[in-house]
Amino acid sequence: MTDDRQNVVDMAGTRVDDDHLLSMYIDNELDAERIIALVERLRAEPALSERLSAMECNDVALRTLYTQADQDIPEHLAAMVQADNVVVVSFAQRWQTWATATAAASCAAIIALVVNFNQSTDLNPMTMDTLLANSLETSRSSAAGWESLGDDRQFRSVLTFPAADGRWCREYLLAQEGSHWRGVACRDEGQWVNQVVGSEVFLEQETQYRPAGVDDSETVARFIDETATDVALGPQQEAALISSGW
Amino acid sequence: MAKLSAQQRHDLIEELPRLKRFCMSLTSDPSDADDLLQITVERLLEKGMPEDAHVAKWSHRVCRNLWIDEIRSRDVRSRYAQAEGAMEGVGTTSSNTDESVQLDRVSAAMERLPAEQRAALVQVAVEGCSYAEAAALLDVPIGTIMSRVARARKALAEDLEWSAEREA
Repeated sequence: MTDDRQNVVDMAGTRVDDDHLLSMYIDNELDAERIIALVERLRAEPALSERLSAMECNDVALRTLYTQADQDIPEHLAAMVQADNVVVVSFAQRWQTWATATAAASCAAIIALVVNFNQSTDLNPMTMDTLLANSLETSRSSAAGWESLGDDRQFRSVLTFPAADGRWCREYLLAQEGSHWRGVACRDEGQWVNQVVGSEVFLEQETQYRPAGVDDSETVARFIDETATDVALGPQQEAALISSGW
Repeated sequence: MAKLSAQQRHDLIEELPRLKRFCMSLTSDPSDADDLLQITVERLLEKGMPEDAHVAKWSHRVCRNLWIDEIRSRDVRSRYAQAEGAMEGVGTTSSNTDESVQLDRVSAAMERLPAEQRAALVQVAVEGCSYAEAAALLDVPIGTIMSRVARARKALAEDLEWSAEREA
């Protein structure tokens, strides 16, 4: 196969060896004249024919390998692309630290995704202000009802859970006029920091806190699934944690 | 640059499975591929693309450039440490059949290929691109694609032959 006498020149004038020739043959990139010449050689040279068979078998295996791999596209990616008005607050922080990060640390990275479905822009959902932080610090989770933050916003803590990196995190709902948001904030060195916030549409029932299938709610849910190391705290555990000052 | 039009968003969604395989061919690691795909989509949404841009070509180019940036920023040692156990779940089945053994060998041999050869081979042998199409997607001359694909096939054949002999 390395015999220079077998070398040919391809269409671009480049000298190629038999492996290049076979590869171009497999890919149907040879002209008719060279195909005829190669086929004649394949009949006469068993070693060349075996080499071709091996390459073709490897291609088949390669196609199987790549098509049987998990090719599912994360739903939130398609949702992001479909959304009319998307503001992406960089995922790149994870990427940059990723080479040295452990799996647990990567879970702690901030995935800040804000998808605005043409709702009011009065509220910047990623903003963590004192009123919201205070409620996250002191409010107990519930499946229904709202508490006023002291301005025109309504707040409900949904659940509290431990993150893989040891921080405590809370899923919450926030409402302001016609806008509703679902988010997760984690307590980082005494400060509550929003991790992910998405716009929300609620079902008719006031007591139902699960959303009506909005795509970025899935992003929030996925963030929790990826970040939480345990089940959410029960009412007594959560009350004890709040009383102890976290 | 213009944000994505409705048609471009539609085309991008259609392109996502292929883009994911491309990420896989670049990274040779499922979790790296997922992250690369995520960041590529975010970049496309954030920066948009020209109105007349070919979505597949543009998205592949963005993806490849992001991966190049990432490679440059990574420490070589940690890269190789990360490569341990890479391709887990790709080409690996629980059954110990001849086919699964062969797929494992192919998977391992693919990992050992240079990334540019792996990407070229996947575009041509898996995606069915012509050399001209692969050249446009990967932004290299056609002759480079021809050469990379041929060298990749040669390296794969020799690697697998060696693996089979060693395990025999």
